[in-house]
Amino acid sequence: MNGAELAAAVRRADVGYQVFAERLEDPIAYEGDHAFHFSTKDNLCSIDFQTRSGSRILEGYRPPFDATAIERLRKAGGLLIGKTNMDEFGFGSFSTNSAIGVPRNPFDLERCCGGSSGGAAAAASLIEDHLAVGVSTGGSISCPASFCGVVGLTPTYGRVSRWGLIDYGTSLDKVGLLSASSAPIRRYLPVISGPDPLDPTSQTQPPLDMSGGIDSVAVPEEMVADLSDDMRDAFQEAVGKLEGMGVEVLKVAMPALRYALPAYYILATAEASTNMARYCGMRYGDIVEDTDLGFNELFSSVRSRGLGSETKRRILLGTFCRMVGLRDRYYIKALQVRQLVIRQYEEAFQGADAVLTPTMPYVAPRFDEIETMTALEAYHADILTVPPNLAGLPHISLPCAYIGGMPAGMQLAAPHWKEGRLLSLAERWESEFQYRIPEGRT
Amino acid sequence: MDEETVRKVARVARLDLTDEEVSKYAADLEDILSTFEVLDEAPSTEDFDLDPVPVEDRLRDDEVLAYPDPARLRREMRTADGWVRGPRLT
Amino acid sequence: MKIGLEIHIQLPTRTKLFCSCSTSGDEVNSSVCPICLGFPGSRPMLNRRALEMGVSIAKFLNCEITDKVWFSRKTYFYPDLAKNYQITQYETPLGRNGHFMVGDRRIGIWEAHIEEDPGRIKRAGRAGEEVALVDYNRSGVPLVEIVTAPDLTTPEEARAFLSDLLIELRHLVGLSPQDETTVRADGNISVGEERVEIKNINGLRNIERALKFEAKRQSRLLAAGKKIVRETRRFDEELGTTLPSREKEFEEDYGYIGEPDLGTYVIGPMARAMELPETPLARASRLEREHGVAAASARQMVLTSWELADMFEALASRFGGEAATTWTLGPLASHWKELQERHGDRLESNVVPIIEQVCAGTITDAEARMRLDVLAGREAAPAAAPAAEGDLKQLVARLVDSHPEVVKDYRTNPRAANFLIGQVMKETQGRYASKEVSDMIRKELEKRV
Repeated sequence: MNGAELAAAVRRADVGYQVFAERLEDPIAYEGDHAFHFSTKDNLCSIDFQTRSGSRILEGYRPPFDATAIERLRKAGGLLIGKTNMDEFGFGSFSTNSAIGVPRNPFDLERCCGGSSGGAAAAASLIEDHLAVGVSTGGSISCPASFCGVVGLTPTYGRVSRWGLIDYGTSLDKVGLLSASSAPIRRYLPVISGPDPLDPTSQTQPPLDMSGGIDSVAVPEEMVADLSDDMRDAFQEAVGKLEGMGVEVLKVAMPALRYALPAYYILATAEASTNMARYCGMRYGDIVEDTDLGFNELFSSVRSRGLGSETKRRILLGTFCRMVGLRDRYYIKALQVRQLVIRQYEEAFQGADAVLTPTMPYVAPRFDEIETMTALEAYHADILTVPPNLAGLPHISLPCAYIGGMPAGMQLAAPHWKEGRLLSLAERWESEFQYRIPEGRT
Repeated sequence: MDEETVRKVARVARLDLTDEEVSKYAADLEDILSTFEVLDEAPSTEDFDLDPVPVEDRLRDDEVLAYPDPARLRREMRTADGWVRGPRLT
Repeated sequence: MKIGLEIHIQLPTRTKLFCSCSTSGDEVNSSVCPICLGFPGSRPMLNRRALEMGVSIAKFLNCEITDKVWFSRKTYFYPDLAKNYQITQYETPLGRNGHFMVGDRRIGIWEAHIEEDPGRIKRAGRAGEEVALVDYNRSGVPLVEIVTAPDLTTPEEARAFLSDLLIELRHLVGLSPQDETTVRADGNISVGEERVEIKNINGLRNIERALKFEAKRQSRLLAAGKKIVRETRRFDEELGTTLPSREKEFEEDYGYIGEPDLGTYVIGPMARAMELPETPLARASRLEREHGVAAASARQMVLTSWELADMFEALASRFGGEAATTWTLGPLASHWKELQERHGDRLESNVVPIIEQVCAGTITDAEARMRLDVLAGREAAPAAAPAAEGDLKQLVARLVDSHPEVVKDYRTNPRAANFLIGQVMKETQGRYASKEVSDMIRKELEKRV
């Protein structure tokens, strides 16, 4: 694509599908010699655009620095064309909790993109040869990748620096990549990976090893019990194809995985409720000066006005789980349970190279369906993506079926630091299974 | 998770909630918390970490590296003679 | 009366606890960066030197060192707190269950840990409607927090404890030049059953003032048959009184969680391998034990100058504690600066022969003093007419009166007199023989004992 074509594609995605919170508007900006183009989720700091993390409370905030991931991609010759829409601060699985714009599914405008990196998945799907940077806490890369029919890689926790990432769950957030196929991800993962002096959790990683492969996968029976018939059949068909490729498929029991969703929601919201405390209208974003109110009243007023309802719900839940008399039962217990889940995976990896499940229990819901969901039902959408996210394991979602025309993905999780084998399998899969291009792209 | 508790938690978290919101959140959180009860079955362990991968002994040398442009940071905030203007204290 | 203190002392590192900003900023909000301002997307990096200092302090305080430590987020809302949480150590302090000696009193140390300082607030505007003006230069500066057991029994003892603690820490890690004014403490004091907390008292002098006032306030209430309310108060520096705390009455539940960005630190081996230098008061104790020096003399020596104490030990090892005390505290101490400047490394070898002779009786006290004066570059004092004995008696009486601690000491340790002997010799500039002075002082002390 030349500059003009790229500009047109970006504009179409923006106007037709509300993919972007902000994007390059000037056609001249698209000209010039760039090795590739990329977008990032709007919770990664960028100096040339606002960074609002889907929230009103950061209205007008222009960070004075780039996130490390963005800086590295720019240095490698990438053109940052825009910031993609998302659930406010990452809180959601459908990108409908956005105060800025709700992205629509490239395959069906009445359906959501998934979340919270919904705009990123849509950008990857709608714009040819595009690299979208996303962020996953409990599945926010896998879920939209599955719903929008693109490839989404979530690296190991700590593989990619989180400097400049607006935090949701500090021990759970991971910067990752989405694209219409695995090749751009394979190419640019090394660019964003690697230790960063500004992020201590990125400093103990072994070097990124792109070799390795997957000869066997384990399917946890608990995780495939509760699927819709459509999804079960589609998944079985995909499993058949893998077997045809020579991959051994084993059924295993992973009973500890039933603790993963509760432990995740406790840890993620407990950490998030502290990360959110700084937003009080005083130092960046929407600054409010009102000398009629004392500081407590002012902070409460600003926060209540500037934050959406899902954000408030998670702050309440997270605050509760770490209060005096409760933190042992909830917060501390969740930390302990994370170890159990990690060990459960370690056991599975003794007998297989990866753990395989469908990515989501269903295809992208319609917006009107989402409106009738309870909070609990919405949380339950994460049932398959949360376990590897809680354990910090690298995982990939690959389109593997189309149900009623809507994409569905399968998710493979590998041991810590073994991103390479996931991308190898993706490459092999792509010669067996043809990904569809949405109407919105042509 | 009754309404009384929701109000208390909201105060700690500096969130102003309408009565309607208090009621809604109380119901949501009650449901969500009941799904957490399964964790009471899980065994406890002394062996746990704050992160899913080891992050140990990460230290930085005590050498000054002045931020190149503090004025840029001050521009994000409301200031008076360089002091950051904050809210009323009482 | 029971008093416990929660003390905050700034550690003298070059950079802040979690970022590379300098700890000394001049203009307001000039030594800041995204980390200490808590900008979204920023995260902390721990200062190695601050951790080492904290561990050495915990070890110095005889604490049990926690083998593996991590940091915690303490969440509360206040304009000086950049992230609206403070990174501190809640579950894993660096050390626990230590102690610190003040004189012969053992004060328990519950724990010692490190944490970041919030920014500094200046109040502006009309009383009752003041707004906060914040300087974040201080935001992120490393603090050591030391929590004592409620083992202190008077405000004076609390002050002596703090003063001694600062003396020791100054030598151990170095402290800021104004450490007596920058030290902060929360004090817990109970005259009766109920405990009152006084938060955020600035400086040594104010800590004593606050405790004194509060002790009096509680005593008066109890004497009037009233109850003491368990509460948190603040100290008003201008009024010199404690007052009910006015602002932070809002519901706070700190809701501690771990700080995942920093991970864990294994400090056990580091602590075990650390060799701590001898600190001044510990040295004074040792001089007392090893050379029979009176407590007050030993203290004066180490606090005057480290090298003066070195000289003392050199003389004591050759000539015994008593002679060493007399000569070190008297003539040597009074001209110490000049002696050091003029002789440097050779001072000891120049002084020793003189002391040797006077101890052997080859020369008189006066002669020895004159030679030391010459060493110090001072003109030998003109031989004064022998003064009347009455003058000496008055002088001795005055000095004994002004040193009640020596009288107290003398009850158990006769060598305590040496301090006064040295003082008199100094003041009379050798007009009297040392034996005469010694006899008169002992007589005067005996009278009061």
